[in-house]
Amino acid sequence: MTEPIDTSIYSAVTAAIQTEAQRILAAGLVTAIVGYAASRRNGSTQPIIVTDAAAAEKLIFTPASVNNLALYLTKAKKEIPKKGKIGIVVKGCDLKAIVGLMGEAQLKRNDLYLIGVPCAGVLASTVQPSTALTADTIASKCTECDARLPSDCDYVPNVQLPTQPQLAGKYAVEIARLEALTPAERWAYWKEQFAKCIKCYACRQVCPFCFCEQCLCDRNKPQMVDTTPRPAGNTAWHIVRAMHLAGRCAGCAECERVCPMDIPLNLLNRKMAKELKELYDYEAGFEVNDKGPLTTYTDKDDQSFIK
Amino acid sequence: MQKYISQQNLTTLLDTLIKQGTRVVAPHMNAGVPLYEPIQSAADMATGQLPRRSAKEAFFPVCEDIMSYEKEGQRISLKDIDPARFPETVLVGVRPCDAAAIPVLDEVFSWDYKDEFFLERRKKTTIIGLACTAADDACFCTAVGLFPGETKGSDLFLTPLEDGGYACESYSDKGETLINGNKELFAEPTKTKALSLAEPQTEKIDLKKVKSWLDEHFEDPLWDGIATRCVGCGACAFVCPACHCFDIVDEGTEKAGKRRKSWDACGFWKFTHHASGHNPRDLQPKRYRNRIMHKFKYYDDKFGQTLCTGCGRCVRVCPVGIDIASIVEEISKK
Ligand code: SF4
Ligand code: SF4
Ligand code: SF4
Ligand code: SF4
Repeated sequence: MTEPIDTSIYSAVTAAIQTEAQRILAAGLVTAIVGYAASRRNGSTQPIIVTDAAAAEKLIFTPASVNNLALYLTKAKKEIPKKGKIGIVVKGCDLKAIVGLMGEAQLKRNDLYLIGVPCAGVLASTVQPSTALTADTIASKCTECDARLPSDCDYVPNVQLPTQPQLAGKYAVEIARLEALTPAERWAYWKEQFAKCIKCYACRQVCPFCFCEQCLCDRNKPQMVDTTPRPAGNTAWHIVRAMHLAGRCAGCAECERVCPMDIPLNLLNRKMAKELKELYDYEAGFEVNDKGPLTTYTDKDDQSFIK
Repeated sequence: MQKYISQQNLTTLLDTLIKQGTRVVAPHMNAGVPLYEPIQSAADMATGQLPRRSAKEAFFPVCEDIMSYEKEGQRISLKDIDPARFPETVLVGVRPCDAAAIPVLDEVFSWDYKDEFFLERRKKTTIIGLACTAADDACFCTAVGLFPGETKGSDLFLTPLEDGGYACESYSDKGETLINGNKELFAEPTKTKALSLAEPQTEKIDLKKVKSWLDEHFEDPLWDGIATRCVGCGACAFVCPACHCFDIVDEGTEKAGKRRKSWDACGFWKFTHHASGHNPRDLQPKRYRNRIMHKFKYYDDKFGQTLCTGCGRCVRVCPVGIDIASIVEEISKK
């Protein structure tokens, strides 16, 4: 038996989200709320955009509330009219992405009504949505989470986070394993992973930071990156993705969750995050910072690579 | 023709075929993901999980070269791919929802333009279907008129028995040929009980009603309701056994390169993006509408078949939980 994780607070969280959503919609404080609703498969949830106070009762929060809904706030989602204040249900990891987007001048705090969720963790993408949350079925990102209680939100349900079992950080373990390999072995590992990529771009499409009007990888005048799912184009895509998110990625791990080929994309993100911490003492957090580590220069920056 | 084949003899059959130089494609674990891929030994076959991508790639690969070019000074030489070089193949362990999609694909690849890349591989492939004994709650073959013992598309069909062997029935000349060529491995049918088949938990959907609603509702608020949340990726189309859109690009340098065909998806913003910059499907709801229309109306209009076998793959992979089964069911109740 693997250690169960207590998610009993989620029913109180659900009730509180519904009451608050109803209140702010009825009072006209927001025009819409992005949250989670139940869907057909047992235990599953899906994103929902609620505009009517009467529909607030559809909002829920469960261990299957996996999506980072910040995606729906960005200009990548043209289908969603961004009129007035928008309410959004956020976990701590999702909030870090919103904070990052504010730093990149993509979102304004005043346009948002943040409903923060005290979070005991969500399910890994590899298990059925009806599975109980345990130390084995929890998403890898949650084993390393430092953001279970989002701060500076407009509303946070008043519930007590249960004490969590001590979980081994799954990425830290895997990064240590890869770092111990020789470069050739490491390359063999990633080559095997990238070979599975089918260029469905689900990883890009769910990333809140992939809001470019036209991705470099979609350009064909000139063609910057081979578009076909073959070694050249796949490798290029994965390098472009990892590099363009370095110092921006907030660690929500959406890319990895959605990859239909189970490519451990967040492992690259975590490795980049580790380097940025070492080189620039930078970490994604709850504080808006409009000077990203790779978009600024100071004379204290690491120069050791200049030989 | 009805026969029995033991687990041991199935292994021998596949190993013999491989030794004889036949390409054997079967469900197999690749870096943690089950995929239909060529195997080097029958022991590599792993039928326990539904492969993440469908069996269509045995005929319609994720990406393939269709031509190459070379330029030297003023001289340009073009070289065709010779489909005659495609190997004889046995595709084994195919789920009923995957096998049933293959005759559906035959229609489109042999209509109007004959796609020799697809058709030549198709001609050279014998398909051995395998009945399903387990389903999850994304499976809905029974809702679209198929079932876990469906034999459509299979040349030979295996039903697992309690003794670990299989009841084996042939449905085509290719199936008979495979049995006749390996007679010693097949025995007469036994009385051993079959394992119970999977039971997907979905009710039959009235596809005629779905189509007649779609006939009248190209414009409808339903599309916005569902698809504002669609993120526009290729996941649903790429894992689908019936989706068949592809893109053609030239890749290489000024001096030499290849023309390649690779999977495309109607979810992408670039899909039907015209050279003028105009896109008739400019927003995601219009693209998602195309997905439903193509599967449950356009394909039916043209070929009298539905472009969905209920494998549930798109439901499992959709990043935002868009569930084609519940959408089609909702339409059928309108
Ligand atoms: S990373 Fe933290 S905030 Fe995010 S889902 Fe996991 S436990 Fe919750
Ligand atoms: S989601 Fe996975 S398969 Fe799709 S493009 Fe990204 S890495 Fe490749
Ligand atoms: S539309 Fe979805 S359920 Fe239907 S065949 Fe394609 S992947 Fe399977
Ligand atoms: S329906 Fe889901 S899988 Fe398909 S394009 Fe939209 S988001 Fe991607």
